[in-house]
Amino acid sequence: MMLLALFVSMTSFAQSILGTVIDENGEPVIGATVVEKANPQNATITDFDGNFNLKVEAGKILAISYVGYITQEVAASNGMKVNLQPDDKMLEEVVVIGYGVQKKSVVTAAIAKVSSDDLDGTAPVRMDNALKGLAAGVNVTSSSGQPGAAARIRVRGIGSVNDSNPLYIVDGMPIEGGLDYINPSDIESIEVLKDAASGAIYGARAANGVILVTTKKGKMGKVTVNYNFSQGWQTAWKHRDVLDATGYMVMQNEGLVNAGQAPKYADPYNVTTNTDWQDLLFNDNAPVQNHELTLSGASEKVNYYFSLGYYDQEGIVGGNYGHSNYNRLTLRGNFNFNVFDVTKERNWLNKLDVQVNLSYARVKNAGLDVNSQWGNEIGSALALPPVIAPYVTGQDAQDQIDYYSSTYPEEYVPMYGDNGELLNIPGAGFNEMANPLASFQLPATNYWSHKFVSNFSATLGIWDGLKYRVSYSTDMSFWGNQSYATPYWISPTKHRNYSSTSMESDRGTVWQLENVLSYDKTFGAHTVNVVLGQSAFENSGWTLGASRNNLKDYNKPWINAATGLAADGDRDGWGGPGVKHTMSSLFARLSYNYDERYMVQGTIRRDGSSRFGTNNKYGVFPSVSLGWNVMNEKFMKSTNDWLNNLKVRFSWGKNGNDNIGDFRYTVLTQGGNNYGFGMAGGEKEITSSKASGLSNPDLKWEESEQYDFGVDFGFLNNKVTFTVDWFKKKTNGMLKDMNIPSYVGESKPIGNVGDMENTGIEFELGYKFNISDAKFQIKGNASYLKNKLIKLGNAAGFETYDNVSNLGNISRAEAGEPFPYFWGYKTDGIFQNWEEVNAYTKDGQLIQPDARPGYVRFVDVNDDGVIDDADRTKIGKGTPDWTFGATFNAAWKGFDFMMFWQGTYGNDIFDATRRLDLPSINLPSWFLGRWTGEGTSDKYPIYIQGDATNWQASDLYIHDGSYIRLKNIELGYTIPEFITKKAFISRLRLFVSAENLLTFTKYWGFDPEISSSATSCGVDFGVYPQPRTWRVGFNLTF
Amino acid sequence: MKANKILLGMLVTLAMTSCKDDFLEVTSPTDTFIEEYYTTKTSLDEALVAAYAPLHWYDYGSTWQYNALNFISEFMSDDMYPNGSSNTDQPMLQLMFNYSCTPVVCLTGVWSDSYSGVKRSNDVIKYADWVEAAGNITASEKADYVAQARLLRVFYYLQLWKFYGNVPCYFENLEAPYISEQLTADEVYAKVIAELEDIIAGGQLKDDYPAEMKGHVTKPLAYMIYAEMVMIQNDNSRYGKALSFMQELINSGKYKLTVNFQDIWEEFSEWNSESIFEINYFDDNSVRGWGNQLGAGGAVFPRLHGPRSFKANAGDPYEDVDAGWGFSAIPLHSVASFEEGDLRKEFSAFDLNAHGTSDDPGWMATGYCLYKYMCRKSNNKDQKADADLGFNNNLRVYRYAETLLNAAELLLKTGGSASDAAKYVNEVRARAGLAAVNGVDEDVILNERRHEFMGEGKRYFDLVRTGKAASVLTPNNDSGGYRTKAWSEDVRYLPIPQDNIDAAQGTLKQNGNYGSN
Repeated sequence: MMLLALFVSMTSFAQSILGTVIDENGEPVIGATVVEKANPQNATITDFDGNFNLKVEAGKILAISYVGYITQEVAASNGMKVNLQPDDKMLEEVVVIGYGVQKKSVVTAAIAKVSSDDLDGTAPVRMDNALKGLAAGVNVTSSSGQPGAAARIRVRGIGSVNDSNPLYIVDGMPIEGGLDYINPSDIESIEVLKDAASGAIYGARAANGVILVTTKKGKMGKVTVNYNFSQGWQTAWKHRDVLDATGYMVMQNEGLVNAGQAPKYADPYNVTTNTDWQDLLFNDNAPVQNHELTLSGASEKVNYYFSLGYYDQEGIVGGNYGHSNYNRLTLRGNFNFNVFDVTKERNWLNKLDVQVNLSYARVKNAGLDVNSQWGNEIGSALALPPVIAPYVTGQDAQDQIDYYSSTYPEEYVPMYGDNGELLNIPGAGFNEMANPLASFQLPATNYWSHKFVSNFSATLGIWDGLKYRVSYSTDMSFWGNQSYATPYWISPTKHRNYSSTSMESDRGTVWQLENVLSYDKTFGAHTVNVVLGQSAFENSGWTLGASRNNLKDYNKPWINAATGLAADGDRDGWGGPGVKHTMSSLFARLSYNYDERYMVQGTIRRDGSSRFGTNNKYGVFPSVSLGWNVMNEKFMKSTNDWLNNLKVRFSWGKNGNDNIGDFRYTVLTQGGNNYGFGMAGGEKEITSSKASGLSNPDLKWEESEQYDFGVDFGFLNNKVTFTVDWFKKKTNGMLKDMNIPSYVGESKPIGNVGDMENTGIEFELGYKFNISDAKFQIKGNASYLKNKLIKLGNAAGFETYDNVSNLGNISRAEAGEPFPYFWGYKTDGIFQNWEEVNAYTKDGQLIQPDARPGYVRFVDVNDDGVIDDADRTKIGKGTPDWTFGATFNAAWKGFDFMMFWQGTYGNDIFDATRRLDLPSINLPSWFLGRWTGEGTSDKYPIYIQGDATNWQASDLYIHDGSYIRLKNIELGYTIPEFITKKAFISRLRLFVSAENLLTFTKYWGFDPEISSSATSCGVDFGVYPQPRTWRVGFNLTF
Repeated sequence: MKANKILLGMLVTLAMTSCKDDFLEVTSPTDTFIEEYYTTKTSLDEALVAAYAPLHWYDYGSTWQYNALNFISEFMSDDMYPNGSSNTDQPMLQLMFNYSCTPVVCLTGVWSDSYSGVKRSNDVIKYADWVEAAGNITASEKADYVAQARLLRVFYYLQLWKFYGNVPCYFENLEAPYISEQLTADEVYAKVIAELEDIIAGGQLKDDYPAEMKGHVTKPLAYMIYAEMVMIQNDNSRYGKALSFMQELINSGKYKLTVNFQDIWEEFSEWNSESIFEINYFDDNSVRGWGNQLGAGGAVFPRLHGPRSFKANAGDPYEDVDAGWGFSAIPLHSVASFEEGDLRKEFSAFDLNAHGTSDDPGWMATGYCLYKYMCRKSNNKDQKADADLGFNNNLRVYRYAETLLNAAELLLKTGGSASDAAKYVNEVRARAGLAAVNGVDEDVILNERRHEFMGEGKRYFDLVRTGKAASVLTPNNDSGGYRTKAWSEDVRYLPIPQDNIDAAQGTLKQNGNYGSN
């Protein structure tokens, strides 16, 4: 009884304490744990409104905790309001490394991290484009402004003359094609493993950097539903300044007269037609639309994130004709199930989690031929003169039809525009250059793809800190295209007089199976992390396609609806599997730190690849890195008021590049070397086979060895952070044809013969500050890179690229120079008069005997008295010295503002838009600054029709390609919660943004950002410009 | 319990994935490792066809050069101008005319194409062992394959020796470091002529093939190569043997001259009774094209020879002559050198002005171009790829007329019957509509060869071997005045392509004094 009384009396002191837990934004925290500190079994969790109700004696200490927030201990009182503060250390300072995560404070490698917050401001369509300007050491060049176009990414420079693309790992799975299947808003973070030490865990594929993408997960608490919408309008941000009709006629006449011919236009000032072809080309205000719906949440047992995205973009060139469009649907479901968790009961076999990520993307797109000088729509619009009208009517139309019908009987087909008028044919002298409006009338090739990527994994706590993880991932891709052609005639080189259709379907299947054991343990001041793993990977695929001529009905452009017969050569088919790529790997990593002061990490990976030669089936890739957190030393205590972080890092490692093609180490049979036997018209082609080449069983991966030295600083309570990294990366054994005599009688074997070197320095700076209610943040990065080809290794010792009509190859690779560089003549002004021509001599001989006043003075680089190929030298390069980006964020009350600047410095552009062999094409307006007499110009020569001498590949084609661009600017306003709450909306943000609003560059062309292929950068054949986009939209959270 | 089952499942997974080496062995979906493939008779047939294929590359092959065997040496003789649009049109051909090739701008096609043939021939010989070891051919079948491959290899080395002289000569394919010793021209001759004697002595070569197999190498071809090599080398120790080979062909009765000289160049007389060896080209379903220049099918050299911007007169018997690129102007002195009444004149040097007009005949145009491989619209009409590379004109390598003239010359050289020699020469003259000559000397035969074979690639080597090159091939003798440099021993051979010298680690020496200036 006494006991009972005591008990009653005790409980009588306890009372129901009601309270609310809110976060830093004043939002209720759902699912926060509230525990009586002295009696942990007395606990509860907060409900959907952040409220809790716990029977506890007032004044007792309660511990309120929630994942990602600092645990608060407060005395219980009824009606208490607990304000949880986010645990910055926990949220921000974790970095994803291969096969694990690491606290940023103990990271010893060079890893750039881009978080979802960074990505939010940039509205990218593809995650490769998203990285632009956000990570030091990562150079991203958009290939064009075509919707959905991929970007060219170089991590710490061009690592190889062959394939320098980085490895992409999405949620642990390597992705080799169709990167746009990821909706960037599903990305939680992107980590770029830049140095060899961090990449070594991916061994034979890490030589050109590794990009780790982690997708989002649900957050503890109630179901969150987000809907984001934006609508944008895109317009070309710049037109090229070309001659108008009068200017054109003046220059044509002058050029003809200077060439000793009669002028063509009687009165250049009498303008009857003044067509602005660029106005006709561009599809101004092309719409772009984005919808995203996400649903996410988490409980103790299940964590889920589900998203649906729809993106539709019309291109600013030809989008209105269905020639340049991009439409994507993405679906993603990321789940984590806790099967059991008995960590409180035992320390062995105590926890099992199963993760499932499922994603699907469907893309439909059509694309124009971009950056070409062979008469694509953009190139033609730049080439066609203003004196040509887009349409012809009346008698002119009849004349055109009559002329072409008689000149090209059985071939000519009249073509009409959308307005029903006959499309003008530019006529003789324009070769491939066709009326772009006529090109747009042709059916586009439509591309489609479906991609399913799934990751299944299970993680089991085995004993203490020992965990085992097994994962199985698949990537199933289906892609193809469909095209058809009706008879057309748009230029003497572009026509066909029969209809045809073609379809292709491709399939790729990748699977990866991995088993990883990891052990994490802290013994006093010693922290150890060990990872041991195995990985197997296979990539296979096939293709199947067919084509057939003679469509019965152009509205049914299918092979089944065509009538062509194989016997007439009107039906063709192709197909078969691709070569499998398999890898089998073992890897291990040991990380150790003492008191977070001294860190050491070693990684080793052994990769076997189906692509390696018989003598080098397996490659071993080691790395080691060291770090010292100087700040954690006792002697640094005194600086704590201004310096909060100082860490020095050093790393070394070797990585491989296994993108070396298949079977290049061995000899296979090869067909297609047939010969005809028989006589007098009865010869029959007899099938043959032969050895495909000479073997090189020693063939192996390209190897890169890299040193990195970095320092991280944190000042003023880490409000200011600064990181600097220096690196030197040497690629050894780049693949190239071996330098052997051609008298071997066979194509030369490929060998590991070339070397390349990249050195650079990278800076990252961050600054956060508040001014009363307003919060500001500035983040910036800059990187300097110097690339040098050490040895090409082929027979010639050099190689040339980027063929420009009538100029030949204008890029070149040569030892000691950046890869590649622009190669041409150096000019030294214009000969103003005969005295200057005659004064330009060597040993009494004229160096340019054919020159006249007004001609370009070419520099006799090798000083041999003649200007020839041997005088061509380095006149620029397409890759920048400096790449930089800066973000500025501000928030005040409900307003938020973001600006993102990005640019490059030190890169050149070779403007190859002018076709020298077509003298009637239009010219840039700067041609008006040509030499017309003594003293008129010391840069641009006299204009002579058909003049190739003064316009050989030279620095006259080179322009400064440096630029700085306001890539994104956005202003948002979040409507106060007390208003939106009435509509059950927890958050509604409205925003307006602009992309590519401002670009500062000296380059006169459409866009300073140009890349056309793996080895071609900065060669402008008339690039598809990136649009300036205005967007409005909203973010809605329920 | 549940946890244990899951754990067990994971361990099973781990065990299953423990890697096997064969996981990394992948196979090509279209091709096979050669050791596995060359074990059957069919595969050996295929390899042999591939060894023949470089024959048709000579006109345009692995180095994208135009170097059909008939005209490349003709430009170095006194009977053909390269012409073309200007003196920089196909610079290699223009420089060759003036003995001014450089180690960089030079004939690389014959070099590369010939060595490709050598490499493939060597492979056939090796594969024949593999097929025999697999029990899929008999020893005598094997001997047939090997004999063909060896004779092809001799043919390829013949070209290398004629054009480049001092070349590496290997009978087994090279392995790392892929270097083969350079032999002097005399050493190459000694090695190849011995090989040829051995092949002939082996008795495996066939005299002829049935119609559908025409194009295969034969014993008569071996004889013709033998005579050519011996005569170029002026190897008097072998004149007798060469003569006996020629006479064996003559006495066999299997060969006779085509009745009409002009008929030789028509498609219907390909592999006719006068033909000893031809390189086959055909237009029916020809897939040879600019992107597939190694493919079997038509030839491009008729287009190359064809008259520039030529339009035949309406109603002209040669109305189907198509315009070409103009690389075969016949110099006026060559036209004038024909005897009165020589029927071969009209069908060697085609009189363009008599049959049509040209508004852009080329920079060395003379009004005459080579008739023998004229590009005609009817000759490429059935091709399926690029019309320019679709002509069906076989390249006539050896004709019976050469057998007769070789025999005549060898008779003189060996002190044989002068009347027999005259008989052989007169057989050739009779067909040309010319009166018989009573006595012949080497000059008469040389002159006969010039007019019989104009444009067929014999003249340059005839002048060199008879020691007349230095006196004939001079600027003074060029009626057009285009030749500015005289022939000399230094330019007897063409330069060895510089990239080979660069890559040969100092083992390859340049011919003459090329590259020394």
